[in-house]
Amino acid sequence: MESDIILVIVVVTALAFDFTNGFHDTANSVATSISTRALAPRTAVAMAAILNFAGAFISLEVAATIASGIVDAEIVTTTVIFSGLIGAIFWNLLTWYFGLPSSSSHALIGGVVGAAFAAAGADAVKGAGLLEKVIVPALVAPLIAFLAAGGAILITYRMVGRLRPGPVNRGYRLGQITSLSLLSLSHGTNDAQKTMGIITLALIANGDLTGANPDPPLWVIVSAASAIALGTYSGGWRIIRTMGSRIIKMDPAQGFSAQTGGAAVLLTAAHLGFPLSTTHSITGAVLGAGAAKRVSAVRWGLAGNIFLAWILTLPCAAAVGALTYGVSRIFGDGALGPMLVSISLLMLMAVVFGKRLQRGPALTTAVDP
Amino acid sequence: MIGAVDTGALLQLVWAAPLVVLVVTVAWALVIRGTTLALEARRDGGSAVRVGLHALVAVAGGALFLAALVFGLIVMTTK
Repeated sequence: MESDIILVIVVVTALAFDFTNGFHDTANSVATSISTRALAPRTAVAMAAILNFAGAFISLEVAATIASGIVDAEIVTTTVIFSGLIGAIFWNLLTWYFGLPSSSSHALIGGVVGAAFAAAGADAVKGAGLLEKVIVPALVAPLIAFLAAGGAILITYRMVGRLRPGPVNRGYRLGQITSLSLLSLSHGTNDAQKTMGIITLALIANGDLTGANPDPPLWVIVSAASAIALGTYSGGWRIIRTMGSRIIKMDPAQGFSAQTGGAAVLLTAAHLGFPLSTTHSITGAVLGAGAAKRVSAVRWGLAGNIFLAWILTLPCAAAVGALTYGVSRIFGDGALGPMLVSISLLMLMAVVFGKRLQRGPALTTAVDP
Repeated sequence: MIGAVDTGALLQLVWAAPLVVLVVTVAWALVIRGTTLALEARRDGGSAVRVGLHALVAVAGGALFLAALVFGLIVMTTK
């Protein structure tokens, strides 16, 4: 009975993470399309939400969970997973509050690493896995996307720069709708898998699923797809504003180069078995498309804040994951710890959001759609 | 620890990703350039050959862009 309660808490927390993942990453696919007026904001997020939902059904490679190869699999319990999810949700909400794009996957890895560290010490964390799955991709993704999108915009201006701007802008806006679709589909495929993987892992740990690599039940697939789609539709307007207009003021050709450049880098990397962060790739591409036109057009101070957030993602999510695990364990092995932590966090969030709502417009409408 | 990183895939990514971006960029630029110039040529009363050549460039660019799109979808469904 008690393990069932923990399972329910983990499932609900995983879906909550999936929701934050959706609204935090909406900006990756829609920000440039909105800022260049390729699509109206509500149309863009609705389209992204539908394609994220559809993307979740494309591939069901759940076997490899997000933290495999990074922490010792034997110490991963439902409490460790729960604590890792809390660390990731905390970081997603904090970076969203400040309007900073950051990787949800890295936040989840950070949370699980912190919880595993608190549970079994440093030996539970595999440094080589961290280097391979977090540090190297975090350096490579923005750099390649920056150079690729920068090169793309220079070629674009060379090829169409002398044509009448009207049809050219219309053409690039149309192209952006294609790249938005591809990015959203890809995001749904990648990121909903993380939640499906976590819930499947929890079901296995609870004895509800058996076998070496069991497929996730239909309710897991549908609920994970729905959570990410709902999150996407909610739209993280603060991050959309940062990505779409605060880093650079972009024209449709730059928007297309950034979006398509980022998508091409992501999918090529996936094809080569070297998965990169969507957020890091698209942000790098936006910076590249801006800097190639005019270096001073990029707000480098803001870019510095984004880089700082990327550096802090792993340690901060890990610290919250470790803290959550420590607090949960005070109340023993059972469901009481996770339950109290969940209730406390829900109350804290209600207080913070309530106070903020009393002061002015809702947080989620910082940029009016 | 460095051995954990698949340097072969990483090096391949360094040249392959910009190459894919280049192909996609050139393809879409050809679509826009071809379409715009074909429409202008037709409006200005240009010869059918000239209009046709520009339209052909646009179609070639479109086919290349479509191929890149299909490649992306295949990667997504088979990874």
